[in-house]
Amino acid sequence: MNEAGTTVIAVASGKGGTGKTTVAAHLAIAGARTMPTVLVDLDVEAPDATGYFKDARPSGAAEEVSVLVPRLLEARCTGCGLCARTCRFGAILAIGGVMTIDQKACKGCGACVAACPTAALEETPMTVGATSISDAGGLSLLEGRMVVGDIRSTVVIEATKKRAAASYASLSVRDCPPGVSCPATHAIEGADYIVLVAEPTEFSIHDLKAAIGLANGRGIPAGVVINKDGFGDADIAGFCEREGIPVIGRIAFKRERAASGAAASLWRGDPAITEEIDTILARALAGARRGTLR
Amino acid sequence: MITVSVASGKGGAGKTSLSAAIAASLGAECVFADCDVDAANGAIALGATIATREPYFAGPGFTIATSACSGCGACHAACRFGAIEPVSGADAFRIVPELCERCGACMARCQTRAISTYEKQAGELFVSDTRMGIRLVHAELEPGEDTSGKLVALVRRRAEAIAGAHAVIVVDAPPGIGCPVIASITGCDLLTIVVEASASGIRDASRLVELAESMHRRSLGIINKAGLDADMDERALAMLAKAGIPLAGRIPFDLALRSAEESNRTWASVDCESTPKIRAALAAIKSVLDTLKEKR
Repeated sequence: MNEAGTTVIAVASGKGGTGKTTVAAHLAIAGARTMPTVLVDLDVEAPDATGYFKDARPSGAAEEVSVLVPRLLEARCTGCGLCARTCRFGAILAIGGVMTIDQKACKGCGACVAACPTAALEETPMTVGATSISDAGGLSLLEGRMVVGDIRSTVVIEATKKRAAASYASLSVRDCPPGVSCPATHAIEGADYIVLVAEPTEFSIHDLKAAIGLANGRGIPAGVVINKDGFGDADIAGFCEREGIPVIGRIAFKRERAASGAAASLWRGDPAITEEIDTILARALAGARRGTLR
Repeated sequence: MITVSVASGKGGAGKTSLSAAIAASLGAECVFADCDVDAANGAIALGATIATREPYFAGPGFTIATSACSGCGACHAACRFGAIEPVSGADAFRIVPELCERCGACMARCQTRAISTYEKQAGELFVSDTRMGIRLVHAELEPGEDTSGKLVALVRRRAEAIAGAHAVIVVDAPPGIGCPVIASITGCDLLTIVVEASASGIRDASRLVELAESMHRRSLGIINKAGLDADMDERALAMLAKAGIPLAGRIPFDLALRSAEESNRTWASVDCESTPKIRAALAAIKSVLDTLKEKR
C-alpha cells in the first residue's frame, strides 16, 4: 500500500498478446465490487483497456501530457555550444556557433538550460500524449495515450501514474506494456504486486523469464496467471516451479473465450471465470500485503 | 539488399510467426533480424545455434558514491525522471538505474563530486545459424535497460553487414509504436503490417499505420486470427482499405498453426487447413519483394 492508501497491482507479461489487458480488466471489475477501484492503462503506445467498457462515460477532463523542451532565445545566445555538448541525446546541434534544437529528440531533462551561461534557453511545453478518465458503472478507467510518432512513452506513463494516484482509489490495477525495457520498468515501478500473465508456449516462457528478472530486480513480489491454459503444451507450470514463482491462477483456453476477447467483450456470464478471477485478485492482494510487511 | 519489416502495434498478433515463415519461404539467402530485443523469440522460431556473441554497451550510467554524498538533495531536485531516491538509514541519495534516463543533470548539480559515470553491459548481441540455413541476428537486453532503440539499430547494422548484395533482411519488430519500433521500420523497403482481427488488434494496427504514413513507408497488410468474430474480420479489412494498404492475405485463427514452433517448423511448413491461405500470403509478399529487387 502506498502513502495514499492505495494497493497497486501491475499486470505485466514480457510477451505481448498473452492476455494482460483482459486479465487487468477483469481484476478491476472484481475489485470494484467491494472497493473504489481504478483501472489504469499504461500501455500508452497501444492502449486498449478502455475498449472493454463500451458503456463508459467521461468523468473528468482529458489532460495533456507534455515535456519541457528548450527553445533558443537567439538574442542571448553567444554560440558557445555548451548546451550541445551537455545534451546526452544529441538533440542540440552546434554548427559554426549556430544552435539547432531537435525538440522531438529531447527528453526534457533540463540539463542544457541549467548549463547555459547566458540564460539563452527557455523551456516550453511540448505535448507528447494525454490522459483521459471515464467511469464504467462505478469502476474508474484512466488511460494514458502517447502521440503517434513520439518516443517519450515513459513521460506519458509517469503522468498517468500521477493522475491515478490522485484518484484516491483503494485498488489500482495497472495494465502494463509488453517487454522488459523502459516502458515496462516505469509501469511496474511503485506497484505492490505484479501479476504476470503467461500462456503455455515456448515464446511466452522465454519472455516470462525476463519479466520475472525485472520484478525481482525491483524487489516487487509477483505471481503468474497461466492464461489460455491448454492452448499450447509447453510446461509453464514446471518452469514457474523451477523459477520459484507461484502460479496464482489458471484460465483455460476456449475458442469462445478467444472470440469474446477478439470482440473486446467481457467474460460476463462465464461463472467459472468470475470465480477464478476472484481467487487471483485475493492472492494478489495477499501477496501485496506480505510485500508491504516485509 | 532489400529490407522487409514486420510490425503490428499490438503484441501477440503473430509478428514473429509470420516473420519466420517469410524467412523460411525465402530460404538461406535471407537474414533474420530479431529486433524485439526485450522479448526475442526468433531463435525459438527458427531453431538457432549461437555462432558469435558480443557484449552491448548502452553508454555511460550514473552512480552516487554514498561516502562522498552530503545528502544536500540537489541531484534529487534536478532529476526530472524520479530516478533519485534517498538511501534509507543514511544522509545520502542513490540513483535507481532502471529509471535513470542517463541525462547527466544530476552530475552537473552535485557540489561534492559524488556522482560519476560507469560503463555497464546492457545486453548481448548474437549471430546464429538456424536449422534452415537462414542466418539470424538477435539480442538480449538486460531487464530494465532503457536503450532498446539503440540495440535495434545495432542488430540491423549487423544483419546488413552479413547479408549479401541480393539478400532480403527480414526485420521482426517489437510491439507498440515507440522508439524501438521506429528503429525497426526506419528505412525499410517494405513494411508488413500484421492486423490481428480483434478490436484491440485493429486499434493498435491503425496507430502503426499512422506512424508508417508519417515515415513514408511502403506497406502491405496481413490479417491474422481471422474467423473468430465476423464483425472484426470486416473491420480489419475496412481499416486497411481506408488507409489504402493492399491486403496480402488473411490467415485464420487455427490451433494447428500455434504449435508450429514447438514442432521445429514455421507456418510455411505446417500442413493444416490453413496451408493454402498461408502459401498465398507468402507468395504475395515474395512477389512484392521480387518486384522491389528488380528496381535495385
